[in-house]
Formats: sequence, structure tokens, C-alpha cells
Amino acid sequence: MRKNICEVTRRELDELMLDETCSTTAVDHLRECGACREFHEKQTKLRQIVGSLGTVPAPADFDFRLRARLANESSSAASPFSFVAWQSLRRGFAAVAVLVVFAIGAYLVRNALNQPTAPQVETAKQTPAVRETVKPPQEIVTPNAAEKPKPEDVAVVPNKRPQGNRIERPSLVAIFGNKKPLATRELSNTRAEVVGNTESVGTSAAFPIDATSVQFFKFSVDDGRGNAKTISVPTISFGSQRLMQNANQFAPKRVW
Amino acid sequence: MNTLTTIDELGFAPALQQDVLEDTTSDHALLEATRSGDQDAFAELVSRYRNQITSYIYRMTNDYDGAVDLAQETFVRVYRAADRYQRSYAFSTYIYRIATNLAISELRKRKRRKLVSLTGFFQQSDGGEPKEFNPPDARPLQDSDLVDTERRNAVQRAISTLPEKYRAPLILRDVDGRSYDEIAKILETSEGTVKSRISRARGFLREKMHAYL
Repeated sequence: MRKNICEVTRRELDELMLDETCSTTAVDHLRECGACREFHEKQTKLRQIVGSLGTVPAPADFDFRLRARLANESSSAASPFSFVAWQSLRRGFAAVAVLVVFAIGAYLVRNALNQPTAPQVETAKQTPAVRETVKPPQEIVTPNAAEKPKPEDVAVVPNKRPQGNRIERPSLVAIFGNKKPLATRELSNTRAEVVGNTESVGTSAAFPIDATSVQFFKFSVDDGRGNAKTISVPTISFGSQRLMQNANQFAPKRVW
Repeated sequence: MNTLTTIDELGFAPALQQDVLEDTTSDHALLEATRSGDQDAFAELVSRYRNQITSYIYRMTNDYDGAVDLAQETFVRVYRAADRYQRSYAFSTYIYRIATNLAISELRKRKRRKLVSLTGFFQQSDGGEPKEFNPPDARPLQDSDLVDTERRNAVQRAISTLPEKYRAPLILRDVDGRSYDEIAKILETSEGTVKSRISRARGFLREKMHAYL
């Protein structure tokens, strides 16, 4: 019961302003209750201290700064490309930019999904042709079939070229899905024209090798005692010429 | 038959003029004049409230320069929103509400920044406001002015450590001397909540300031 009276009295004291007088009931309770009296004294002192903080004045140039700020805002709001206008337009620009990026991405993805089969077909067609380039030297065209080298002649013709010399990377097309053909000229299946001595040099468009040089190279060796021996060297053909024009950057330059 | 040419001839001119004078000097009238482009009316409003608003925000934030900036921002918002102002509240309630919102958002910004401060070492474990370690100086002071200054500084520091929901009603009540009704309108809450928060705030302050009581 007494505790309730203390709570009610303290609440009343708490809600009063400092200059207001409390009720007679509260005054009577304060006479009897030492704890509430102490609470009241401390509370009053605390409120006096807090109330003594007073008002902190604004700086002297407060009005001037405020006018300048308002004038600045009104002038910036008047210009069409003001900061405020930019703030409002920024979201619109961002949305448009996102849409543009999305559209470009969708276009690229659709292109990538629609076109991977074409290069693979091309590769499949090209691959056996590349393999056919490895031909035995028997198919080399000689200028004159009647002038076959005799058995005693020393013919320096390689039977087979090492496979390692040919760098075949048809899978690159499939890997990169590039529509463009490799920057190569496949001439292995093209038969070199036989150009006679009467024809001018370099007139053949199919195989730009000087055909006048396609002759047997003969020379005689004499040991000084009348024993002469003629050596005939047939034309050496490398089959095809495959020039890689920066298509394979990993291969060494000018690989034959 | 005489024709009345001036209002003075009606016989109640002084009372009418007094009413007009009072109406033109009320906050509402000044804001109406501001709305119609009267810069002097707005200057009068500023001169009436600049000290109160600056002081109130300073008590809330314990930063004078920041308080001046926020007080200016308060007046800028009043100026911008003059067209939308409604007379349902007193102008003082309206401007104090703007100032309170600005001060509270500034306090929350500071909290987000998480400035490294010595007060962080005394942060409460329940996530409440940091309690500043502020031991009272037990040495006797020779001058009563120094005592008052020291006491005021201690009170200001103690207030700045209060949670913001207790800080605003305590300042509005004990420093500015506003009524519970007005505080409730400023803080957009009920009177009972305001009384409860003020009581809690005083309890916190009593603990912090026991050396001065």
C-alpha cells in the first residue's frame, strides 16, 4: 500500500514542471517518506542542472549563410541541367543502360547459339583434305615420264616426310567457333602445272612455282682416269605449301 | 447623409487594427507571406526560431557546427515546403518535428559510420548507446563559475550518451520546457509514451550525475 503511494507521488513529482506545486496528498507523503523526499530533492536538483543548460545561440552569420544557401539552391534548380535534375534523371539513365546491356547480351548469346554448326561442318570437310596432303613422293609429277631415273642414278627423294612437320589444328575452328576460314591456302590437292620451257616464267596461277626449274639436275663426275659417272637428281617437290598467316600464333613462323 | 470614408469612422478601429497586427505577426501569417514570396516574412521566422532550433539540435548531437548546418537545413525544408504546410499543427511543432527528424537521422548516420572512439570500449553488451567513462573530478574547484561550467559540460555529455528515443523528449521537456502534449505531437507518439521516456531518461541521468547531486 505504502509502495503504491510512493509510486504515485513520484510519478506526480516527475510530471510537474519545476515551478508547479504538487498536490496536498503528495506534500503529506513527502513529510512522512524519507526516500521519496530524497528522490524529490535529487530530481529537482537534476532538473535544475539540466534546465541551466539554456539556449546556445546561433552564429552571427546564420541568416547570411541561409540566404546564400537558398539562393544557391534556387539558381541551381532553375538551370535545366542542375544537380537536382541530374539526380532525378540518373535512375532513368541507369535503367536505360541496363536495358541496352541486356539487349546486347541477348543478341550475342543468340548468335552464339545459332551458329556453332556451320564451322564444324566446314572443319569436317576440310580435315580429310588436310590429311590427303601427306602423299608419298611417288605421285610427284615428273616433267617427262620417259626420263625416269635409272636404277643406278642416285635419287635423293624422301620416301615419307615425318608427320611431325605438319601441324594440323582443325579443332581450333571448333573450339573457337569462328566462322572465318583459317588464313591458309590449301594447295596440296592441286596438281602443279607442268610448264614447258617455252612458256614464260610465272604465268601459272594455280601453282606459283617457277616450272622451268622442274627438270632433272644432272652432273658428271670424272675421277681423272676416264671413269665418268653421271648423276641425275630428280625434282624434289614438297607437295603443298601451307602458309600460316598468323592463324596459328603458337606455331613457329613460316612452318612448312 | 454622411458617408463613411475611412474605417476609423466606424468607431472600433483600434481593436481591428490590433487584430490585424497580431495576425500579421503570427507564425502562420508569416509562413503565408513566405508562400506568397515575402522574403522578409521568412527572415522574421528565421530570427524567431534560429536560436531555439540550433540549440535543440546541438543538445541532441553534441556538435555545434553540425547543429548549425542541420538548423539551416531545417529552415531550407520549411522554405521549400511552405506550399504544403497545413495549419493543423502549431508552427513550432512543425519546425521542431523537422529538426528532430534531421537530428535523429544524423545520429543514425554516425552510428553507421562506427567511428573508432574510446567510448566504444564502454559500449553496452545489449547494443545500447555507449556509456561514456566520465568519472567525476573529486578535486575541489576554487571558482563557482568553473563549477557551473564543469557541471553543465558533464550534463551535456551525459545527455549525449542517452539513447535517442530518451534524449529528444528529455531535452524538449527539461531544457526547452515544452508541454507533454506538444512533445507528443513533435515526436508523433502518445503522451503516455513521452512521460514514460522522460522518466526513464531522468533515471539514466541520475545514475550518471550522482556525483553532482
